Amino acid sequence: MSKKPVYTLVDELPNHGLTIISLKALDFAVPGAWNNLTGFVNTIKEVTGETDEALIKEIGDRAITLYNDKSEGYQKALWLYQTVDSASSALGTGMIANKFTENKSFLGLINKLTPKPEKAQSFDLTVKLVVELVAFCQINGIPGDSIGDFLGAVKDYGGESLMRMAALVCYDGLVPLGPSFAEKGLATLKDSKPSDLDHNKTFKGVKELIPGDRDKGKLAFITESFESVQDWMLGFVGDRGLTQDKVVTSLSKAVDLSQDKLEYLGAFLDVGTNYYEHTGVQTLTRRLVERAAAEV
Amino acid sequence: MMMPRLRRLCAAISQKAFLAIALSAVLLVSTGCSTLAPPESPSAQFEQTQAETSGRKAPDAVAKEAVKGSSLNDFFPRSVAGYGGYDVVAAQEKTGFAQFKVNEGGENVAMLSINDTSSNPNAATKYESSTRDIQGFPALDIGKNGTGLLVNDRFQVKVQSRSDRFSAEDREAWLQKFDFKGLAKLDN
Repeated sequence: MSKKPVYTLVDELPNHGLTIISLKALDFAVPGAWNNLTGFVNTIKEVTGETDEALIKEIGDRAITLYNDKSEGYQKALWLYQTVDSASSALGTGMIANKFTENKSFLGLINKLTPKPEKAQSFDLTVKLVVELVAFCQINGIPGDSIGDFLGAVKDYGGESLMRMAALVCYDGLVPLGPSFAEKGLATLKDSKPSDLDHNKTFKGVKELIPGDRDKGKLAFITESFESVQDWMLGFVGDRGLTQDKVVTSLSKAVDLSQDKLEYLGAFLDVGTNYYEHTGVQTLTRRLVERAAAEV
Repeated sequence: MMMPRLRRLCAAISQKAFLAIALSAVLLVSTGCSTLAPPESPSAQFEQTQAETSGRKAPDAVAKEAVKGSSLNDFFPRSVAGYGGYDVVAAQEKTGFAQFKVNEGGENVAMLSINDTSSNPNAATKYESSTRDIQGFPALDIGKNGTGLLVNDRFQVKVQSRSDRFSAEDREAWLQKFDFKGLAKLDN
């Protein structure tokens, strides 16, 4: 788990770069939802609207105390967000390295990222969704396998949490798997044996915090969770009129296509590797500050 | 004949110039360091707290005797007369703490919370300066967006605005609707 103080994690969040560009490219899907709030003191001020320095210090002190107590769950949530990002990055690296040899255009390249490793992509999508559920429970304190509570909460998601879900649906669902991404995700889970799951790097990275007895129980939990949230995801895509084309077009407009391939490689890697951690740090800090501001 | 003299002159000048440049460079660096150094991070003020609350000997953030978060949920108002169209949504529930959001038209306008101050007694101590009460419990304005009161010297009940549309009067109207009597009974 990260040894950095929570204020350093928030202070070090970037204000520019390819992760930010790729998330901003989804503003059309969740208009105005995300403003990339960075900086610890800044977050306290923004969340509470308070300006009194002594009160801000008091809130910050309590937030740090809560974060540093491992039993409060904030560090586990961070670990989940970080681990699921870094574990899924290996998948992205392999795919991009593969595709780069074909010398395709940016658009063609992303479109081409569809069929080959569908099973791996599907696992990735479903495990990331479950990580969101488990991290949500760690941060907000409801029992660790409360799918129903999570379902209720996800409908109320806003800000960076909504952006993270938008990125999950678009970049891990719609773009690599197409419009039937949810169906494919569920079918992959249902056709899988527990041992298949254990070959997936993303799952292996976070499995210790996924509820369920051994891999069999964990697979059942992932399947049940994904099945429950499927309708919400499809509603998200349908209500907003999202399509693979719209997402790819917005992303390719955001990234300068005239830059050479290495730049582009970095861009896409970032899309695949860092948005969960970036917005995850923002979410846990907001919740931490909300709790601290209430408790002081 | 002029050449050697000129050369010596040039050498002297360049020596002086070198010294001057070197000296000004030293000055620049020494003064520059103090004026150009990055300002202290706003988070530097938290370094001591970080040191005191991390590591193996760090104290627990939540007191052992703190009540379960779920035991606090029943005392929150779920609606308040005159506030039609406001939704109360569960936000957080941890040991000694429960929090609900108040949303209006999907926008978060306020936060409602109860916390057991046995985990952070300073939160209770501040009510010693209270000069008013709500239903017999000491009340305080906290910062510019918060109103709180203390039940049985232990449970802090707070309403915080998260939108300019939710005024101090709104906070007080919602605060009045918590079940203080029920909460007081929890302190046994």
